[in-house]
Amino acid sequence: MEPLIRVRGVSKFYPRVHHPRERLRAFASLMTGNEIHEGAEVLHDVSLEVTAGQSFGIIGQNGAGKSTLLKLLTGVISPSRGSVEVNARIAALLELGAGFQPEFSGIDNVKMKAALLGISSSQLDSQLDEILEFADIGDYVYEPVKHYSSGMVVRLGFAVVAASNPELLITDEVLAVGDESFQKKCIRWIESFLERGNTLLMVSHSMFLVQKLCRQALWLHDGRTREIGDVFPVTQSYLAYHEERSAAERLQRRSLRGDSGLYRVREFSLPGRSGDEDLVISCGGDLEAELVLHSPDGRPPVALFGVMRADGTPVYGVASDYDNIEAEQLDDQHYRFRICFDRLPLLPGSYSIRGHAMDPQGIRLCDTAELRFIVSGESREMGMIRLPHSWNS
Amino acid sequence: MPVNLFANNVFRQLVTRAVRTEYLENLTGFAWLILQPLILLAVYAFVFTTIFKARIPDAGPGGFVPYLAVAFWPWTAFSEAVLRSSNVISANSALIGKVAFPSELLPLSIVTATFLMNMAGYLAVLFVLQLMGTPIHWLGVAAAVPVLALLFLFACGLALFVSALQVFIRDVSQILPPLMTFWFFMTPILYSPAILPQKIAAVMKFNPMTWYVGRLRDFLLFGNFQLSWYDLAVPLLTLLLFWVSLLFFRRFSPHFEDFL
Repeated sequence: MEPLIRVRGVSKFYPRVHHPRERLRAFASLMTGNEIHEGAEVLHDVSLEVTAGQSFGIIGQNGAGKSTLLKLLTGVISPSRGSVEVNARIAALLELGAGFQPEFSGIDNVKMKAALLGISSSQLDSQLDEILEFADIGDYVYEPVKHYSSGMVVRLGFAVVAASNPELLITDEVLAVGDESFQKKCIRWIESFLERGNTLLMVSHSMFLVQKLCRQALWLHDGRTREIGDVFPVTQSYLAYHEERSAAERLQRRSLRGDSGLYRVREFSLPGRSGDEDLVISCGGDLEAELVLHSPDGRPPVALFGVMRADGTPVYGVASDYDNIEAEQLDDQHYRFRICFDRLPLLPGSYSIRGHAMDPQGIRLCDTAELRFIVSGESREMGMIRLPHSWNS
Repeated sequence: MPVNLFANNVFRQLVTRAVRTEYLENLTGFAWLILQPLILLAVYAFVFTTIFKARIPDAGPGGFVPYLAVAFWPWTAFSEAVLRSSNVISANSALIGKVAFPSELLPLSIVTATFLMNMAGYLAVLFVLQLMGTPIHWLGVAAAVPVLALLFLFACGLALFVSALQVFIRDVSQILPPLMTFWFFMTPILYSPAILPQKIAAVMKFNPMTWYVGRLRDFLLFGNFQLSWYDLAVPLLTLLLFWVSLLFFRRFSPHFEDFL
């Protein structure tokens, strides 16, 4: 089947045009037929294929090139390299501001937007009530759009787009500004829109929405494709990336602590981990850890295990003395502790486990070792932990 | 140009919008549309007939004022249309950056709105002249329609060229007003080519606006419908300019967003 969207090896440079002389030079190179290959590169060699009926999420940090990619898809800008094909009959873009002109009233902007979307004026007349009802902003439609809140603008924009009955809907971070009830209305609309076999391309920073509405995702990072594929693995590694970034920041802030003690971690391992790779356990599997501590004075130290999310948010911690566990003595100075977390209730994502050495009284933290592990699996549940539950209906 | 330009819904919206913002924004907007050229006309008439005591040998039945008025309104429409559309692309950068649509509709809508408004004023002025005792050749009005249509096309061509160029060279909107003023004085609007030395009058024929104002006077004031090679050259030139400007605009419009 012919894909609805085909993007092949697209790069986009914005020419440097701040200075009049730069503008002139860029214009001269356009005049002589040269494409512009210098300036800020905002997209590099991005390829994407979307077939009809798919729903695609585009995620990435601010400035990763998401909006530029959407502009290329809607034909507002042309690629510096590569090709973009969109074969949709009506492709509607919805973004903050909705392309409205602030000086004009809501109703004027609706007329303009409808015209741009290819709704004829007679068609608009019959649909106007429906649009206003969907937007539900009352008499504000007769006020200039500059007096609107950003949520009202999106309400009106969404209402027109919905009325245009598009084949392809492209949204750029619009659901975030609507209030709760309007968000729900939009999500319901998008879901039924997808059920009718239409195609969605959505830029969002809300992984919740991306996972809810999309089946595939593209992660753009610094204008390049970092990961593309099914929505769950892509969003999970995107989240893990952010969690690690904030954890790295936190680690830098915290000076090394607990390194002054007598009792040291000699060995910390997760059985089942091979080489340097992170241990992967499936959601609901068992996590085992083994900690060997060194005690120079021969007294048995206390071991503390802590599980945390990759960004450092603690999940659970337990020390050997809480449970009155005796260490297994290996020799005069070494003690071994083994722990198993059965049927780990952690939701899919990236986590780490720490093994700490504490003094025999279990008061002072002396040494720390940390290992990462990944919980794999697909789940639409939210949060960190699956709480045991039952539905009473 | 899309053949169904006037059936194009976006174009209609843009024209309505331009008419409303440029002319009907305030209640007096429409009145000013008639008043402003009338006042200017009165100033020129006073300066030239009373102070300079300008004599126009072939001014025709009504003297200086109708001679000036018949040429002045079309020039105003033309010059206003070109000046207004010079920065229309930057002014609508929000629209261009968000929606893919044929951006040539922007300058074309400004020219259309300006002509619609000024032609209404022109018609009113012709009526006033008739009432004041200057015989207007009403057959000439019919003959003037294609001339004005060509003038519209001429304005469209220039507007397309200037508005596209302005995206890349911002100074265009500063250079253009004095250039248009210069053009105004280089065109026999305030004077007649008959008062000029033969040589200069011959050179002035290369200014297409000379043909436009000349033919409008011929048709409306003098009822002179004789045609010559000149009546073929200028329309052809106008069509050529429009076509080249449209190509120029379309060649560069995909890059507008990069420069805005």
